[in-house]
Amino acid sequence: MADGRQEADELFDRILLADERFRGEGYQEGFERGTARGLQNGRRHGASHGAKLSSEISFYHGFAVTWRSLLEGNADDRSRKRLKALEALLNLIQRSPLEDPQSVKLQEDMEKLRAKFRQVCSMLNVSTDFKEYIKTAEGTSF
Amino acid sequence: MMSWLKSASFGGEDVFDENADELHLQSKEWTSNMKKRIKDGYVDGVSAGEEASLQVGFNQGFREGAAQTVAVGRLKGIVSAVWCWCQIQHPEKPVPAGVIDLLQLVTQHEEGIIDGIRKALENPPPSVSDVSESMEDLEVKQPGLGCGGTGCEDTDCCRSEQKMDLESSHHQHNLSSEPSGFPSRSHEGLDLLVRRCMDLVSELGLPQELIHHIEELRNS
Repeated sequence: MADGRQEADELFDRILLADERFRGEGYQEGFERGTARGLQNGRRHGASHGAKLSSEISFYHGFAVTWRSLLEGNADDRSRKRLKALEALLNLIQRSPLEDPQSVKLQEDMEKLRAKFRQVCSMLNVSTDFKEYIKTAEGTSF
Repeated sequence: MMSWLKSASFGGEDVFDENADELHLQSKEWTSNMKKRIKDGYVDGVSAGEEASLQVGFNQGFREGAAQTVAVGRLKGIVSAVWCWCQIQHPEKPVPAGVIDLLQLVTQHEEGIIDGIRKALENPPPSVSDVSESMEDLEVKQPGLGCGGTGCEDTDCCRSEQKMDLESSHHQHNLSSEPSGFPSRSHEGLDLLVRRCMDLVSELGLPQELIHHIEELRNS
């Protein structure tokens, strides 16, 4: 009787273990597959957002550097004010958080950057239709 | 006594057949149950793995994508500023055709890079439903028949299938196989545009310092 009971317990344990083992094996396989897929999908979406955001920031950089070269050497008040604004824009760009897309400050910094760029454009008397060359990038995280 | 003997000697086969049928049924049920366990575990594992790696992949891709548009973005900013400068300095004259053309070419070049990345997005790897189908390939072994678990051949078999899957999508998407690089043609294209921009800036008699800034974009 005791032997029979023990046998039944063992059998039951074996069934439970098998159950867990098969589930665990499936999980392991799935986890590997899911990790590979997550990396790939995340990478694609990230690349798209990174490219757009970097394109926008790089545009501001090229724009600011060019105007600085063009205005440098002019000693009049208006040029000095413009140069100061351009330096401020370049400083913001240098601190742009492209290295860390998860940074909570990213969105905030981008808004500051765009505002500064608009200010610079207005100081340079640059027409608004020109600004349409820039497509803004949004969304940096899931 | 005679009837028992009779059934034992003549009906024995029938008795065993019945048992065999039942054993067969039980074994089929066991196999289907364990297949279901593997499948449940697999589906949970896929979601958990995907959730765990999505942001990591995003961050990696973000930096890679960002690196691809730095040079072309700067060049576009430079040509745009030159365009504005020409318009402001000589409001009575149209902006030189060379500046307009170059701005258009640089913009197209950048769109090409971003489109390439977007195209890779539009051809995602197989979805979860495809994966569920490939579950059929996961063979369930009877317990106690010597399947050693994770090291068994079936697992290897699944791994190689997964590898192939990854490789085929690598072929589809340049992005994956060339993590941080442009295709070389695009590289040459940008160098050509940088050269044109340098020529244009010296033609227009703009500061030497600006030409240095443009030159920095070559091979970057």
